[in-house]
Amino acid sequence: MAASAPELLPYAKIREDLFRPLSKGSSAYWTTVFGALSIVILGAVAWGIQVRDGMGVTGLNRPVFWGFYIVDFVFWIGISHAGTLISAILRLTDAGWRKPVTRAAEAITVFCLMIGGMFPIIHLGRSWLFYWLIPYPSERLLWPNFRSPLLWDLVAILTYVTGSVIYLYLPLIPDMAQLAEHNVPWRRKLYRILSLGWTGSDREWHALERAMKLMACIILAVAISVHTVVSWDFAMSIAPMWHSTIFGPYFVVGAIFSGIAALLLVLGILRRALGLELYLTKHHFNNLSKLLLLMSLLWFYFTFAEYQTVWYGNEPSEMAVFASKIRGPYAPFFWTMVVCNFVVPFILLGIRKLRTITTAMVSSVCVLTGMWLERYLIVAPTLGNPRMTSASGIYTPTWIEFAITAATFAGMIVLYLLFSKLFPIIAVWEFKPHPVEEE
Amino acid sequence: MSIDLDRCTGCEACVVACHAENNLPVSSPDQAEKGRTAHWIRVDRYYEGEFPDVKVKYRPVLCQQCDNAPCEPVCPTYATYHNPEGLNVQVYNRCVGTFYCANNCPYTVRFFNWFAPEWPEPLQLQHNPDVAIRPAGVMEKCTFCVQRIQRGKRDAMVENRPLADGEIQPACVQSCPAEAMAFGDLNDPESKVSKLAGSGRSTLLLGELGTKPKVFYLERAK
Amino acid sequence: MDRRVFFRILSATSAGALTTGCGTSVGKLMPLLVPDYEIVPGEEQWHPAVCTACSAGCGTLARIMEGERVTTDKGEQVRERVAAVKKMEGNPLDPISGGRLCARGQAAVQALYHPDRLRGPMQRSGERGSGQFAATSWDTAIASAAEKIGKARAADPGRIVILTGGAAGSRSLALDRFAKALKAPAPIVCSITDHPVERKAAQMVFGWTGQPVYDLANAQFVLGVGADFLGGWTSPVYYARQYGSFRQGRREVRGRLVQAESRLSITAAAADRWLPVHPGAEPQFLAAVGRILFDTKLARNAKDLPKAAADTFRSADVKALLAACGLEEKRVREVVQELGESPTPLVIGGASIVQNNSLDAVIASHYINVMLGAVGKPGGVLAPAKETVTPFDNYRVADALSRAQVVLIDGANPAYLFPKSSGVEEALKRAETVINFGTFLDDSSAFADLILPDHDTLESEIALVPAVSNRVGMAVGSPFIRPLYDTRAVERTLAEIAKKMQVVYDGVSVRELVEPFAAGETTIDDILHQGGFWNDAAPAAAPRISDAKFEATSSAMAGDAAQFPLAFQPYTSLQHHDGSGANLPWMQELPDPVSSSIWGLPVELDPKTAAGLRVANGDIVRVESAHGSIDAPAYVHPGAIPGVVSMPIGDGHTHYGRYATGRGANPLSILASAYEKSTGALVLGGTRVKVSRVGDRKQWIQFSTPDREERDIHR
Ligand SMILES: Nc1nc2c(c(=O)[nH]1)N[C@H]1C(S)=C(S)[C@@H](COP(=O)(O)OP(=O)(O)OC[C@H]3O[C@@H](n4cnc5c(=O)[nH]c(N)nc54)[C@H](O)[C@@H]3O)O[C@H]1N2
Ligand SMILES: Nc1nc2c(c(=O)[nH]1)N[C@H]1C(S)=C(S)[C@@H](COP(=O)(O)OP(=O)(O)OC[C@H]3O[C@@H](n4cnc5c(=O)[nH]c(N)nc54)[C@H](O)[C@@H]3O)O[C@H]1N2
Ligand code: SF4
Ligand code: SF4
Ligand code: SF4
Ligand code: SF4
Ligand code: SF4
Repeated sequence: MAASAPELLPYAKIREDLFRPLSKGSSAYWTTVFGALSIVILGAVAWGIQVRDGMGVTGLNRPVFWGFYIVDFVFWIGISHAGTLISAILRLTDAGWRKPVTRAAEAITVFCLMIGGMFPIIHLGRSWLFYWLIPYPSERLLWPNFRSPLLWDLVAILTYVTGSVIYLYLPLIPDMAQLAEHNVPWRRKLYRILSLGWTGSDREWHALERAMKLMACIILAVAISVHTVVSWDFAMSIAPMWHSTIFGPYFVVGAIFSGIAALLLVLGILRRALGLELYLTKHHFNNLSKLLLLMSLLWFYFTFAEYQTVWYGNEPSEMAVFASKIRGPYAPFFWTMVVCNFVVPFILLGIRKLRTITTAMVSSVCVLTGMWLERYLIVAPTLGNPRMTSASGIYTPTWIEFAITAATFAGMIVLYLLFSKLFPIIAVWEFKPHPVEEE
Repeated sequence: MSIDLDRCTGCEACVVACHAENNLPVSSPDQAEKGRTAHWIRVDRYYEGEFPDVKVKYRPVLCQQCDNAPCEPVCPTYATYHNPEGLNVQVYNRCVGTFYCANNCPYTVRFFNWFAPEWPEPLQLQHNPDVAIRPAGVMEKCTFCVQRIQRGKRDAMVENRPLADGEIQPACVQSCPAEAMAFGDLNDPESKVSKLAGSGRSTLLLGELGTKPKVFYLERAK
Repeated sequence: MDRRVFFRILSATSAGALTTGCGTSVGKLMPLLVPDYEIVPGEEQWHPAVCTACSAGCGTLARIMEGERVTTDKGEQVRERVAAVKKMEGNPLDPISGGRLCARGQAAVQALYHPDRLRGPMQRSGERGSGQFAATSWDTAIASAAEKIGKARAADPGRIVILTGGAAGSRSLALDRFAKALKAPAPIVCSITDHPVERKAAQMVFGWTGQPVYDLANAQFVLGVGADFLGGWTSPVYYARQYGSFRQGRREVRGRLVQAESRLSITAAAADRWLPVHPGAEPQFLAAVGRILFDTKLARNAKDLPKAAADTFRSADVKALLAACGLEEKRVREVVQELGESPTPLVIGGASIVQNNSLDAVIASHYINVMLGAVGKPGGVLAPAKETVTPFDNYRVADALSRAQVVLIDGANPAYLFPKSSGVEEALKRAETVINFGTFLDDSSAFADLILPDHDTLESEIALVPAVSNRVGMAVGSPFIRPLYDTRAVERTLAEIAKKMQVVYDGVSVRELVEPFAAGETTIDDILHQGGFWNDAAPAAAPRISDAKFEATSSAMAGDAAQFPLAFQPYTSLQHHDGSGANLPWMQELPDPVSSSIWGLPVELDPKTAAGLRVANGDIVRVESAHGSIDAPAYVHPGAIPGVVSMPIGDGHTHYGRYATGRGANPLSILASAYEKSTGALVLGGTRVKVSRVGDRKQWIQFSTPDREERDIHR
């Protein structure tokens, strides 16, 4: 397998291979872009209708005041952990095989955050006043309430976005510099600006290295704290099966879990689409698959811990939620989730013979589905079974919510495709034996 | 406020009183089916036992005006907060509609304006000018008829005299034929509510949650 | 009566400024120059009024403030500030409401401002019953009415039929005088909520006229039989107020209540114990109670009992009777023991759901009160005050209509209240002329040739005699807001018709009605300003007890038991009463106290029967009698008596405004046309039915789904 390690390829070829996609665009590429774009537009229209008519166009009701939007929010913020964590961990541990995967991962992070970050606004009854949540000295002469987990969310996510944009940008600089003499004028201009006049001097290399290491540490901490805070939107309340101490780590694990799945899926597609078989090898998928399997086991452990304590505690209002999940109206979703998040990965990735790129793809799709359902199962059943029995209710989403949710997936595709047209999806310079190492 | 379940007949006069006093929007069957009606006070009805020993339990439930209100800390805009008098008030103006307060209210007594409310002409003539019409996208709930509290205090001030106990009556309290509800100043140990709240039959709804409700239920005597 | 409330009312009407002493020159001038309803107050004002949502006749207060009215004048939108009613509350001076109101009373304001109120006189333009009408002018309407009535009068005045609601007062008097002027038969009461059987029984046993008054507040042990006195019985607010004090109003005692009723009404729910008596078995139950009282030597006052009655009780076979009631003897004996031993026992007997033997039941209940010495003294049953206006006592609507040539309908809805089998609808189709004074296009006015719409009560001058009162008195309302539309008080319409016909008819004015009672320092103005007058109760006199025969037999049910195995009982609902409340959105959205349903009412089945039919909550079932069938959602009622199917009245209007029209089914429509012998009141509980499942749940909305509080979800 070492024979196929991209590190051993001649640098000239690597450059040639990895810069090629930037210039060459297929018709398939553009059809996908516009296909996805039309779905995004549909979602935008749906949101327009919601703003015009009111939240009544959704399936939300009393008592289920949160639905798809909050689910999507948690889901996307979760996936965003792909990049930062994977690449940061691998960087810090200086895992050699990481080189071809880091940038793809970091890109995922940034886009997921952009998408996920929209939901707290979309789900507002008066979304046009979202800025009333932003802490700045305003004519309202009133600061927002810092005791509200929603404020913590806001701060955490803004920090995270900023961090991960920098973290994505830094390792792009050397490649920008290489692309600065691109033949297409507007591109040449763009890359010039973005490369910040990088010359490749020792000082610059050293600075970059240090900056990268530092950012890696910071972003790791931020990432973990962000998803802990997200979990606190629920855990800080007193609603049955939300008010749980392990929600922080539980959510972080779930986030990394879904993040890795997303990364595997993206890499798999890129490999096929951009013909990167030489760079994204079985070796990479094998390693990531093992990571996914590990997270699957961790996820199962947390889920088991969470549910079995509720079951054993046997407290009526909690049991009402519990029952609605495992044997009530939400049971189909629950058991699908268990199969997707545990059974499938455990079998396909746990048995070495079965662990291939294809099964990794299959498992990833399953895990992403399963993790979306997991968030749905956290939001809806609890709200549907409040402490006051008389106020119980059920939630059925409308096309508006489906459209907006679909639009976010489409949006992800669009953003990613455009990114892969503008920047090499694999960090080219990382393969170049550069001065720092020669010393 | 105290509610004597031994007096309460479940007649729901209080419910209509609240609708009339507080300009509550009337939904449509379709919206109602979705669970979108607004009843700032509702009368929970539960059956107990089996025929022929069936019992029905009616309990009027409104905002408990918790002293330790779970709905308050989670509101990012201070749209729901504790006013100096100890009321849990709702500033419609400031609410952006995050739904968080409603999710965290263990009594599920918060109601959302899913659409802009409409009243076919001339039903709007009935609107109480002392109470705002809430726009689409904001949360609302029982206010303890704060407008009546203000009016009562104003009248007392104008006639410069102290407020008499029981002089201020929220609409639901005022209407109750069985006089099951009492309203007054819990800080005044001599007030009727204080006395009732201290009675042996007095209980709190979900008191174990430590929300410190300010609505006291006097359980049915045996 | 505390000073502030008094001041609040007096200061409400401008002339009040005089009586409260702060009469400035302006205060003196105002009433002379400006009628009350021309003042648009920016500060709240309270005017006395009268509730007509049921016949209890509660005195009310209306809160008046400005409101903005939007009208279109030649396509032009016109906005004007008008004095508007904001809220209805009870009149604290009124001994019936005592400052409180029931749900329906408070919703009265929605009837006033209902978007579908009739805006002026209408002439039929389509088929009879189609409900198609064209606007017309009052002059033409009056003229054609006069012409039609005149023709009938010339032919045979006996065929002029006037239908009215129950309540006695200025309106009933006006109708009566009109009838007399035409030499037509006295108006006929078209109502299922006037409770004539209770009147009749009191008259037969005690020689009283009017509804007996039960002094619930001062009783210590109460046995209710068939009287849902906290729900839709004779005077809901009055008895709810008394119930409050009965339970917790006395420091030393808490009254105990046992309710024997054929359904789990809110009264039965409030009771300490409910005895589920099988429908129509009330006389047998009471006979058994009497017998047990004798056996246990607890009939402390048996000597006052007429011999015949005493014999009926003595000869009662407790076992057999209670078996017929479906009650466990042990329980009943416990209850009777407690009743007999109580220092102030009271039996409240009534017929919320009229059976053809209801009279026997109520008579028996009176005799048991006699045995217990619970008559004419505190905590007992008291004599009603002499009525200041005598109510009508003819309830035989179907009979009268069958011969009708001209029908005048005011405040009644025969097409809704009477079953298909009664022939009322055909009669309305057949009649040469039908004139309706209603404020809405309802099931009955749909059959009219002419609709001469009345003002809303709150726009009218009205005096009403409370249904239940031991104090001579009346609730009075005088107009305080400008009528919204081109409507006319029926009193005036009648006068104009009479004038056109050149018959002598002297109208009725509230002033004239209350004048004789403006004695001493209370002037007529005072009466108008405080919303009525209420003389002190006459000292309770020991009644003369006469011998009224009663039988302890169960009611006769229409329909063969094999084909129609289930007993059916429509009952007046808390929200819609006899169906008249169904047009109000507040009432549609008021959760049903039994099923918690809103925007539609279900059929109540007991769990056993439901299981047998494989019916679950919300499934559509067909209720079929020998006289027709209705489809409605089923509610599996944990408290329903096995084999007894109940259904609240209110749905199933063919016409009644946007909120009620076409919603649900009318349980009255499938009843057999059976009438209580002594009064002619429609028998509600006398029909057998069969039930079958015809479909899955459609739109049936429960405000609150679960029936049980404790969720029995455990590992
Ligand atoms: N239809 C109608 N029109 C009127 C009048 C009327 O009675 N009826 N009255 C007239 C008179 S007298 C006046 S003074 C004007 C008043 O007219 P406006 O000045 O428009 O007064 P509002 O509409 O009460 O408030 C304006 C906006 O201020 C926002 N607001 C509330 N609190 C704050 C805050 O703390 N900070 C900021 N920045 N905004 C806040 C509210 O959400 C509202 O959208 O209206 C005039 N026009
Ligand atoms: N909740 C809330 N309260 C507010 C405000 C708010 O935005 N929200 N705004 C505040 C402000 S800025 C203002 S200016 C005040 C305004 O409050 P108000 O001064 O009460 O103004 P209005 O209620 O518009 O009118 C008062 C009364 O004047 C009557 N009126 C109309 N025309 C005439 C006339 O020609 N002659 C006489 N004698 N009476 C007439 C009207 O019918 C009404 O009853 O409200 C203040 N209060
Ligand atoms: S009005 Fe009074 S008696 Fe009726 S339901 Fe409300 S609290 Fe109970
Ligand atoms: S009852 Fe609910 S809304 Fe009212 S104060 Fe308590 S938590 Fe808040
Ligand atoms: S819905 Fe409104 S009141 Fe409730 S938490 Fe959000 S902003 Fe605050
Ligand atoms: S106190 Fe006022 S607002 Fe609250 S329930 Fe009663 S009437 Fe409604
Ligand atoms: S009891 Fe009858 S009269 Fe009294 S308020 Fe209710 S509906 Fe009106």
